[in-house]
Amino acid sequence: MTPRFLRENGLSLAFGTGFLLALCGQAIAGHADFNNALVSDGMEPIGLGAYLTSSDFAVDVTENWQSEYLQFFLYIFVTVWLLQRGSPESKELDKAGPESDEDQLVGEHAPADAPRWARVGGWRQAVYSRSLALVMGGIFLLSWLAQSVTGTAAYNEQQLRDLQAPVGWTQYITAADFWNRTFQNWQSELLAVASMVVLSIYLRQRGSPESKPVGAAHTATGVEG
Amino acid sequence: MSISRGCRGLLVTALAVTTGCGAAAGERGDAAAAAATGFTYALQRADGRQACALLAPRTLDELEKPEQTPCAQAVTEERLPAGGAVRRVDVYGGQARVVLTGDTLFLAHFPSGWKVTAAGCTPRPEQPYDCTIKGG
Repeated sequence: MTPRFLRENGLSLAFGTGFLLALCGQAIAGHADFNNALVSDGMEPIGLGAYLTSSDFAVDVTENWQSEYLQFFLYIFVTVWLLQRGSPESKELDKAGPESDEDQLVGEHAPADAPRWARVGGWRQAVYSRSLALVMGGIFLLSWLAQSVTGTAAYNEQQLRDLQAPVGWTQYITAADFWNRTFQNWQSELLAVASMVVLSIYLRQRGSPESKPVGAAHTATGVEG
Repeated sequence: MSISRGCRGLLVTALAVTTGCGAAAGERGDAAAAAATGFTYALQRADGRQACALLAPRTLDELEKPEQTPCAQAVTEERLPAGGAVRRVDVYGGQARVVLTGDTLFLAHFPSGWKVTAAGCTPRPEQPYDCTIKGG
């Protein structure tokens, strides 16, 4: 990797690396925690490989993934219509909605280097115009489904350890365990988004595109630094 | 023998490894059922030593503790119900429930195989099974 490549892709490389390191940390800590519970119940501890393919690890991973993708899906989708005066996370106050083809550089307004599906009309332009929200929303739904499936297995393993009957998937998705895991993640994501929208009205981070320029007025909307 | 409905109903192949569903669950279910029926057959033959070899360590300790009776004697004195044929097996991770025509047993997986953690179990609504023998 050349220095230029690293400079031009630093954001994705840093977050990708951070993700892998954090996942390793979760695997190690989760393995220790799981084995502590097993030993406490008089069971044999399991190896790291067995833990990494266990439903317990999978549900802990997927319950966080679904909420993160939901957060970004909502942010992408809701900010088409909902505005916030003074926030750099909002569009200007007269631009609610999907905007005109001219504003969005599609069809006859597309520049020469525009993606092909933005230049062509019909279903391809319609799909491409919503592709970011569709993919983020799709990953959210798949992660949530994965949480429900792996959560059923993890919940049932604990049920059997507690000498209780296992439940089916349809029972699990109405169970308190599933919704507790779901809501505890959703509330934190929604709080973080709401905080970002409001705090960025009044506070600044010099040089960050997520902030308004330091000297921008609190009432300036849709301005990024 | 049936594997849990939750597993059967979901054809999410990519998740099969992590949910304990799929082909591997069949083999694990068979092994758990074999341990459960082995335990009940040993008791039918009054072979306490063989039955104790199929007990999980903590369950064995709990059985011996009250009167300091050797496991082989204590387990036959418990008068557990006759097991019978396998009606249902549920396996999730390292835990299993085997429902026989005459009894329900819970098992856990150890390096030496499936071991009985509880036997002589009868269901109670909204509560854990009431088991004649179980770990602490």
